[in-house]
Amino acid sequence: MRSLTPPSAGLPAPARERTEVTRPSLREVTRSPFIPAQAHELWAGAYLAGIDEERLIRLAERAQRFTPRVSLAPPDGLLLEVRGSLHLFAGVAGLRAALTQECLHLKVQPVLAFAPTPLAALIAARAGKPLEILDPAQLTGQLAPFPLSALRWPNETLARLKRMGVRTIGAVLRLPRAGFARRFGAAQLTMLDALMGRTPDVRAAHQVRARFRRRRELDCELQSHERLLAALAPLFAELGAFLRSRQCGVLELECRLTHRQTPVTCCVLRLASPFTDAQRLSELLGAQLRALQLPEPVRACELRASTLVPYVPGPAALWQPGEHGGDAGRETYGLIERLRARSGPEAVQGLTLLEGHRPESAWAVTGPPPVARTRRAAPGLAPEFSAAALRRPLWLLPTPQRLAVRDGMPRRRGPLRLVSEPERIETGWWDGGEIARDYYTALDIHGVRLWVFRERAAPHGWYLHGVFG
Amino acid sequence: MGINPKLARLLEHPAVWRGRSAAPLQVLPTGFAALDGQLPGKGWPRIGLIEILLARFGSGELDLLLPALAALTHAVAARWCVWVAPPLMPFAPALVSRGVALDRVAVVNGARPLWALEQALGSGACDAALGWARQPQPREIRRLQLAAERGRTLGVLFRPRRAMREPSAAVLRLSLEPCAAGVRITLLKGRGVHGTVDLNLLA
Repeated sequence: MRSLTPPSAGLPAPARERTEVTRPSLREVTRSPFIPAQAHELWAGAYLAGIDEERLIRLAERAQRFTPRVSLAPPDGLLLEVRGSLHLFAGVAGLRAALTQECLHLKVQPVLAFAPTPLAALIAARAGKPLEILDPAQLTGQLAPFPLSALRWPNETLARLKRMGVRTIGAVLRLPRAGFARRFGAAQLTMLDALMGRTPDVRAAHQVRARFRRRRELDCELQSHERLLAALAPLFAELGAFLRSRQCGVLELECRLTHRQTPVTCCVLRLASPFTDAQRLSELLGAQLRALQLPEPVRACELRASTLVPYVPGPAALWQPGEHGGDAGRETYGLIERLRARSGPEAVQGLTLLEGHRPESAWAVTGPPPVARTRRAAPGLAPEFSAAALRRPLWLLPTPQRLAVRDGMPRRRGPLRLVSEPERIETGWWDGGEIARDYYTALDIHGVRLWVFRERAAPHGWYLHGVFG
Repeated sequence: MGINPKLARLLEHPAVWRGRSAAPLQVLPTGFAALDGQLPGKGWPRIGLIEILLARFGSGELDLLLPALAALTHAVAARWCVWVAPPLMPFAPALVSRGVALDRVAVVNGARPLWALEQALGSGACDAALGWARQPQPREIRRLQLAAERGRTLGVLFRPRRAMREPSAAVLRLSLEPCAAGVRITLLKGRGVHGTVDLNLLA
């Protein structure tokens, strides 16, 4: 070993003792101040012999359910930072089992190792050793016996090291830094530092696709809705796994059905709240599909979800909805979706007031009312009726309905009796929708109270405009 | 009329259970003292289906319900009040002026009103659901009643008066007709109730 220590060129040769101090071996370098943040990391390295790129990416997507910090180590490695997830999987053993299951799902047998640095975990896995190094202090001791080939350095470098008698990671760590860098390159030195956690090893997290698109060609052409839903089931299963791994929900789901001749049939499911449950999505889409008339048998189906939103699970309440102020948000969203799936997007509407004196333009139809109450009202207090409030009918006809007139008095299945003083509404002259009417409350022969008006302009027609409930 | 003392002693026996000691109903004041006095539990049932039979549309049925609906929509954590397939659109300014909070009112339209009403009643998302039906079958009314219990909802079904003789699973049935003083309400079915109330809804 001593012979490897190079004479420092250009500088006076230092004393032998001094050389020992100023040129620390690779193992004994002082720690940089940045390192402690990483001391809390725990990486799981997976060596996946014989995996192809497509499956590796799919595995990285599925592994999102363990941690968002998943990085690829192509061609056959995957790294996950799992310190924060350990308690969710009952420790390393549980996480190892879950990860193995996930790999076996893609038909690949993994070797899993856990270590405080990503490279250490990967090297242990590549060497076929399912280690669990939880304490950074044990890193050197545990890694020392591993062969250098696990580092995947260039063959020429490995051959030179071998000729020098350096065959294990422990041996290479004992080499002096400066000489090692000069002979084998700074890249390899950096790699060794990253391996031991002396320099930060920043791994780019695998960015997952933010949209879902799966297509399935059918074996035979299908016309029946039930069979079509059965054919869509695997796509929904994939969608469920996709959403779960991303902690995302969909607001809009598009189902495209391809036919032989006619253009593609599109069925779009719009949701009131982010949905993660593929089973319920499939039920809602099923309800919508059944209402659909298919022009031709279906040859292929495709599911598309383009807008993903982060899913925030609501707080679980102790009380039932409607009981002691229990929250009904989830139930209300469910109701909106069921009604919409069956009766179209306009199935649920709310009402709002508008500024305006004309009865027709004093209100409007809006989207569904808010699911959760935004303001807190005093419980159980309704304002007192006012006399003016009672002069407005609870039902308004969409357009005033002309009434028959006899002797200047209105009739509707018999003569109407006017029971109120007239209320004059004369407004709208500025926008062309001018009205000038005298409104009365009238009773018909059956005792039903009606809201009628007489036009002030000739020919003074009588109209029915509302019914008091 | 004094009760036989022997009989009275017998009735005090804990093994004798009498109908009037049934569990108290959860009720909602109607806003009309005269009507409250006649209804079981002194108010509209909080959970269950009510049938209101009408001689014709607009006989004062909404005036009868609105005080209770207004109180419901103003409650803390109020759920929706859904109007399923109303014959006309409710006039929003009139609802507001009678104390209904519009942000709790939803109007549902669609091809199958009874199905939508059952969904609204059973979902647990509504405090009240109002429906208008021409000729519901007894089986459908039974479904509505079960859904209302499931969703802890007050369901109100408006039906024509000629359905008076048909059987119904509703917890409370009343018929309503306009009269000189306002409306006349006849209680047709309910736990231990029968009778007629004249109400002046404009009072």
